[in-house]
Amino acid sequence: MRKRSLGLWLAAAAGYAFLYLPLVIVVVYSFNDSRLNAEWVGFTLDWYYKLLHNEEMLAAAGNSLLIALVASLVSTALGTMAGVAMHRYRLRLLPVLVLTPIAIPEILLGVALLIFFVLLNITLGLVSVALAHIAFCVGFVAIVVRSRLAGMDDSLTEAARDCGATPAAAFRYVTLPLIMPGVIAGALMAFTLSIDDFVITFFTAGAGTVTLPLQIYSMIKIAVTPEVNAVSTLLMLLTLALIIIASRLAPSLLGTQEEKP
Amino acid sequence: MKRLVLLLAALLFVLPALAAKDELHLYNWNNYLAPETVKRFEEACKCKLVQTYYSDNEELLAKLAAGAKGYDMYVPTSNAVQALIKSGRLKPVDKAQLTNLKNIEPRHLNTPFDPDNKFSVPYAMSTTIIGYNDEKIRELGLPTDTWALIFDPKYLEKIKGRVTVLDSANELFAAALKYLGYSANDVDPKHWDEAVAVIKKAKPYWAAFNASSYIKELTVGNIWVAHGYSNDIFQANLDAQAAGRKFKILQGMPKEGAVLAVDNMVIDKNAPRPDLALKFVNFMLEGQNSAELTNLIGSGNPNTAAVKFIKPELFNNPAIFPDKAVQAKLEQLQDLTGAQRRLRNKQWTGIKAGR
Amino acid sequence: MAARRSGRLGKWLVSGPPLLYLLVFFAVPTLIMALASFRTPGEFGGLAPLVDEVGALDLNVDSYARLIAEPVYAQVFLKSVWYALVTTLACLALAYPLAALIARSTKKYRNLLLLLVILPFWSNFLIRIYAWMIILGPQAALARSVNGILATFGMEPVSLLFSSFAVLVCLVYVHLPFMVLPLYANLEKHDQALLDAAQDLGASAWQRFWRITFPLSLPGVYAGAALVFIPALGMFAIPDILGGPDDSLIGNVIKQQFLEARDWPFGSVLSIVLTVAALLLAGLAAWVGRGNLGTPSSARDARA
Repeated sequence: MRKRSLGLWLAAAAGYAFLYLPLVIVVVYSFNDSRLNAEWVGFTLDWYYKLLHNEEMLAAAGNSLLIALVASLVSTALGTMAGVAMHRYRLRLLPVLVLTPIAIPEILLGVALLIFFVLLNITLGLVSVALAHIAFCVGFVAIVVRSRLAGMDDSLTEAARDCGATPAAAFRYVTLPLIMPGVIAGALMAFTLSIDDFVITFFTAGAGTVTLPLQIYSMIKIAVTPEVNAVSTLLMLLTLALIIIASRLAPSLLGTQEEKP
Repeated sequence: MKRLVLLLAALLFVLPALAAKDELHLYNWNNYLAPETVKRFEEACKCKLVQTYYSDNEELLAKLAAGAKGYDMYVPTSNAVQALIKSGRLKPVDKAQLTNLKNIEPRHLNTPFDPDNKFSVPYAMSTTIIGYNDEKIRELGLPTDTWALIFDPKYLEKIKGRVTVLDSANELFAAALKYLGYSANDVDPKHWDEAVAVIKKAKPYWAAFNASSYIKELTVGNIWVAHGYSNDIFQANLDAQAAGRKFKILQGMPKEGAVLAVDNMVIDKNAPRPDLALKFVNFMLEGQNSAELTNLIGSGNPNTAAVKFIKPELFNNPAIFPDKAVQAKLEQLQDLTGAQRRLRNKQWTGIKAGR
Repeated sequence: MAARRSGRLGKWLVSGPPLLYLLVFFAVPTLIMALASFRTPGEFGGLAPLVDEVGALDLNVDSYARLIAEPVYAQVFLKSVWYALVTTLACLALAYPLAALIARSTKKYRNLLLLLVILPFWSNFLIRIYAWMIILGPQAALARSVNGILATFGMEPVSLLFSSFAVLVCLVYVHLPFMVLPLYANLEKHDQALLDAAQDLGASAWQRFWRITFPLSLPGVYAGAALVFIPALGMFAIPDILGGPDDSLIGNVIKQQFLEARDWPFGSVLSIVLTVAALLLAGLAAWVGRGNLGTPSSARDARA
């Protein structure tokens, strides 16, 4: 085992520090005895107490989590298929359809989807939001999966087919494990995008639908109180816990037990 | 894995259906209805009040223009009410059922925005003024009763980088026009050019165009002067005192006049429950209920019956309840025509692009 | 090669579902709004009716003409491209060591480290930006030390907050995971044996990186760059919250068209131009990098 360079360690540590400094502030300020997220005044658990009695906020958090789970699962599935298809076949339309949602300004897409849903008389609600989220998340997954496949040796898949595997089996037992890190990366991105989306959700949410970003952004002109820090902290911990549980339950799926050939 | 997806998808569909009861869907500003009021209303009407929030009139208008449905009521400001009436999105209010309408001050009824209050009923108001850090401004000896504080370089020099203005073309232009001595609703392009010149001259001294985080910054003392809304500035002072700051955040009403924003309750043309909506309007016209909002956030109140329920220190605050002399100088913003909006946006983009 | 066996059925089975979904829930709505770019804005908001009172189709190119006639919009657009470019490069520099470390870790820690990268981004966006406002605020340690240093040189204090610096820092922060994840997905498959062999042959750390690792990682670099540059181009919330008076970007202008200005056709025009430009730039980058996609042939060149 070669010694890894100290330089790499230091640079990576700096990266993690950069990522976590604001987060530390977010968590610490959830205990801040001040309505504003501006400076430290004193320690209090009030905000957590308020949060646990704030039905609206909790419902919003629950909705966000639910939508994010569904949207990330579906968009990961569709995105993986798109990524594989773009790598394997010469497609013209799909690459454009996959890349454009990433490029298009969110407000345009939000208004467009609202008009579209209204035209088709689709009821606005959690479902319309999920459908919208999937539309813009697919591209992220597809691009990552495709870049993972780029330069990858197709000979392994070929060999499997030569040994008599069906295309489905070849995909499931050969290709999928090989691209799994890309799939996971894409799924994580899709989840992140969905749970934090505001603009598109604003336009596609129904009259009684609240997600956490909608709730929080509406507070922007008044005060984003530490209650928001509290709900963010709890949501992060909850999501982390869910993922750790999932990885324990399905280790082979998530590649945590892959054996290197 | 497949089962998990199906379960989650099923939840998405089922959850909303579980909540079908007598519901009133109110699309409101955040923190614009006291929780006690909500509880009392729900008991009185034996229904559930479902609130969702927006934070800008234009967001509301855009969403409605794209066809959003399902709301019973919303609370737009007067110029947005104008736009909504002209696009035919509102249901006329049945005044016979509004027994408490007489509580509203006559000067707030029958306005040019909605003659004879066919569609809207006043709810709460605020003014757009100057909020300032009294300690710092006293030290520097600057005037606080004029728009010159945010537009005149000879004052701005002393507070460079410590001033924010609202990130709203309409509000900032209104302030500049008032500063120049014109009406806030002046649409003469020459006057608009003058306003642009005033703004561009003052811009280098401003810290930011900000409509959201300026309250925080004012309260902590990073910003000393802010162009903002009276309720927000009132709240900033409460927060500053709560944090034990030595300075106070005071409200400065410019002598040239200011913008008055009256928010109104309106009912959507396709409201699912217009009956509940009317009940809510009448409920909010009662003095006690109306006063609860003022006591909560320091908003102005057009309801005469509410006076006896309002905290005295709020009622005696001239920025929240201006006297007749000041009232004469307050103006509500009118909606602009398409061509005017285009011109204003072009000028605004030019200002913000640093040209 | 693979073509003779995959067949057309396979092609449609794999590309069909995403294609169908995106056609229905993305292409059609977008085309509706693309059509809007040729329409007239409604007098009080939204769009004017497609068919006017006379029964004729109300379509025109007024909004496009306006874009050409008023150069201020092009100026804002170029500024946004510049910000997005800086953001992408900074993200690349910060993300590479992170992704490399994670990719080289043992299996046990790999997923955990990856999760740690993305965990902060499951808290709310606004809260994270507010945290940056605290970090960059004039009373916080960072600003005070910077201004202290400037003061010893006799220079005026600068404000870290409400400035381009603050906007760029936050743009980088918000997009960092979208560079780390694709890079990691690519670096993870690099064969350590290649690098060990190079080291045995006397290559220095820098040579190993520049001539083997980096070229092989280019697909990941391009993917990450695309996933950072393109969204960064349309960002508006960050300049809104902590930008200075000059930090308005094209995302802000587009948002204004749909809100304050109630000029949806012009907003559509700006959006179309932004989207097309972003796609063209992405396409250009992909075309330039075509010879470097980390295929076995280029790995052979790298070993030379």
